[in-house]
Amino acid sequence: MSLTTALSIAQTALLNTSRQTSIVSRNISEANNPDYARRSAAIVTSMNGSHITQIRRATSEVLFRQNLAALSSVVGQDTMLGAMNSLNLAVNGSDNATSPARLIGKFQEALQSYSASPSNGSIAENAVEAARQVVKALNNGTTAIQSFRSDMDRQILGAVGELNSLLSDFEQVNREIVSGTQAGRDVNDALDQRDALLKKISEFVPVSVVPRAANDMALVTASGAMLFDVVPRTVTFDPVAGHSAGVDGNPIRIDGVPLPAGTGGNTSASGKLAAMLQMRDDVAGGMQAQLDETARGLIAAFSEKDPDGILADAAGLFTWPGAPAVPADGVLVDGLAGLISINAAMDSTAGGNPHLLRDGGANGADYIRNTEGGAGFTSLLIDYQTRLESPIAFDNAAGLQGTISVVTYSEESVSWFEGIRQSAQRAVENKNALYVRTDAALSNMTGVNIDEELTLLLDLEHSYQASARLMSTVDAMLGALMDAIR
Amino acid sequence: MKTSFISSYAVSQSVRYQITRMQSELVKAETEIVTGRVADTGLHLGARTGQSVYLEREIDRLGTIIDTNNVVSSRLSTTQKGLDSLTELAKKYLSNMTAASSVDPTVVRDEARTTITSMIGVLNTNVNGENIFAGVNTDVRPINDFMAPGSTARAAMEQAFEDHFGFALTDPQAADVGADAMTQFLTDVIEPQFMGAEWKANWSNASDETITSRITLTDTTQASVSANADGVRRLAMSAAVVDVFFGGELNVAARNATTDFAGGVVGQAVSDLAQTQAQVGIIEQRVKSANERLGMQVDIFKGKTSDMVGVDPYEASSRISLMLAQIETSYTLTSRMRQLSLVRYLP
Repeated sequence: MSLTTALSIAQTALLNTSRQTSIVSRNISEANNPDYARRSAAIVTSMNGSHITQIRRATSEVLFRQNLAALSSVVGQDTMLGAMNSLNLAVNGSDNATSPARLIGKFQEALQSYSASPSNGSIAENAVEAARQVVKALNNGTTAIQSFRSDMDRQILGAVGELNSLLSDFEQVNREIVSGTQAGRDVNDALDQRDALLKKISEFVPVSVVPRAANDMALVTASGAMLFDVVPRTVTFDPVAGHSAGVDGNPIRIDGVPLPAGTGGNTSASGKLAAMLQMRDDVAGGMQAQLDETARGLIAAFSEKDPDGILADAAGLFTWPGAPAVPADGVLVDGLAGLISINAAMDSTAGGNPHLLRDGGANGADYIRNTEGGAGFTSLLIDYQTRLESPIAFDNAAGLQGTISVVTYSEESVSWFEGIRQSAQRAVENKNALYVRTDAALSNMTGVNIDEELTLLLDLEHSYQASARLMSTVDAMLGALMDAIR
Repeated sequence: MKTSFISSYAVSQSVRYQITRMQSELVKAETEIVTGRVADTGLHLGARTGQSVYLEREIDRLGTIIDTNNVVSSRLSTTQKGLDSLTELAKKYLSNMTAASSVDPTVVRDEARTTITSMIGVLNTNVNGENIFAGVNTDVRPINDFMAPGSTARAAMEQAFEDHFGFALTDPQAADVGADAMTQFLTDVIEPQFMGAEWKANWSNASDETITSRITLTDTTQASVSANADGVRRLAMSAAVVDVFFGGELNVAARNATTDFAGGVVGQAVSDLAQTQAQVGIIEQRVKSANERLGMQVDIFKGKTSDMVGVDPYEASSRISLMLAQIETSYTLTSRMRQLSLVRYLP
């Protein structure tokens, strides 16, 4: 041991302190970056004082994984809720005000008024107008649903593109990490970047991380498709130009494996992609099928019956391209809600006579019920009102079962949708809370606390002062020695 | 070495999350207090939303039925008034005829003519463009004008006389028709003209079928009276025979036979009309009680809706003030936490 050794130890101490100060200042400057993990210096003591061998990065594998999973599921759920809200507004209007259920109610009112004043032409016109509103709601609903599905396709396409570019970024960063680790360089910044990229990727698909040697990583989706292994696998998707009712859109393929869509209101979908698939085919498709069934129920309820019971029933007030035949009982006709229209024979804007609704005979004289031609004839109008409330069979394929009236069916359809939306909303709250919790836990574990850094800074200041003092003391001692031998 | 287990980012983040959550709650509560119902019915009720749609639809529909029942009621009360006037006419005609039968035949005939004219006036009453006594043929006048020249009903009666006796009513031979022959003619030939199918050919354009109205969601009723009712036919017959056959060459005995016949028929008409009035009264009562029931149903449904989606304004406003206080607290907290940093205390 000599004074020179003491001097050199003090020197290393100064060096260490200044490096540590730079770490602290970096920590402080990144305190509000959620993707930054706190750095600290690992110090090893040796003969000539201590050395900083490595800069450590605070990590918590478990919390980070939890955070990724929570992020995936909250983003999936949130995407679903947002899409459900916009679909609901487009089809049912605010507070379901323009839903077929409400408009059928208005139509029933108009029919009731008509049956009370059956000879009044303007009230007859009013009843047909109310029916026209119902038809419009069904037609517009179909258009809205199908354009929503196309919109989903566009969003999926955009998301797939983004995911692919994220994966290629991931490849670069990962390569840098692997080569840096092998060469013994400080790769902490790249690790931060890679974690940030992982979070972004998790927003699209749920990923599980498979660690490899030399900090390498492989990514597998929750459904088991390989997303990244040394090189990124391609995610492909072909959007459909125009969706049609009853036909599912194209799947998203990751490395050739189709990504499964989410199910349920509290969706099983993790990440945007699965949620968007679910909305496009499952929810929007189900809604479309129910509109189609409602349309079929209306055509059936207003079909004209031959009073003599010989001729087949024919489409009445509500008609469709297959008219005069009435759609088969209990069988879903895809896209019917977009095809339903008001019978031209009763449509005054098409030169028809609204009073045919009262008298019957839109399909020819054989179907006339008001054979005496009395302007006060109400039996058929009352009959229609009864038929609207009479149970008919609905196709289970539309997601709602049972033998119920078309009016009840339209209400059930609202219930079906709102039930999903409510559980989606609740799930968003829960999943968001979970995400906030895991995020806070992860940040607590790996993030920076400024106060802590400042106290560290004070320590460093003191140790710097002490080392400097040591140097000046050794210098004085050496000086005294030199003076003595002069 | 890391000594703390709370990061600065997590601290600021948690406050931020709470504040945004409370702010969105606040917006919801504000909407609720303004509208008096939950901000988003669908989210509030979920799978029960269909029920609220059902209730609101029912409230509107029941309201419409109450409105249409008022139309039915006004039709029925006009019908009742019409029947009242017909009964009055019949009674007045009966008493005047009995009083005048021994006097001048022209007085009796005038009485009959007035009765017919008034009767036709009453039966052709039109409410809101509907001829209320026309059955379902509400767009046509139910009774043809008997007094108009060329009336088919009058011609048919005169023709029937000529066919039966072999000479016209104005023929001098008519003076030879005896009382019994006249009575037989009236009973066998004239009465079927009124009570049978010819009534609709000569007198009436009304249909036998009357207007059916739906007065509750499940209940329908016949809500008008046709001019083809027996009381109307008999009143018309009673007055018409006097008018027509007093205009000819009949002798006193035959005329007396006619007045006797007319008197008997009009008496029956009065009782027929009374029966019809009673029926209309029952229907009026049914409509009235239906409306009361519907009104109660509407109240019940409104109560249920408000149970489902209504918001207690006091509860909402206290929630708002609570939330405002909470948000203010968290603002204070944020600013205090900003001050709570070592930076402020280091030289």
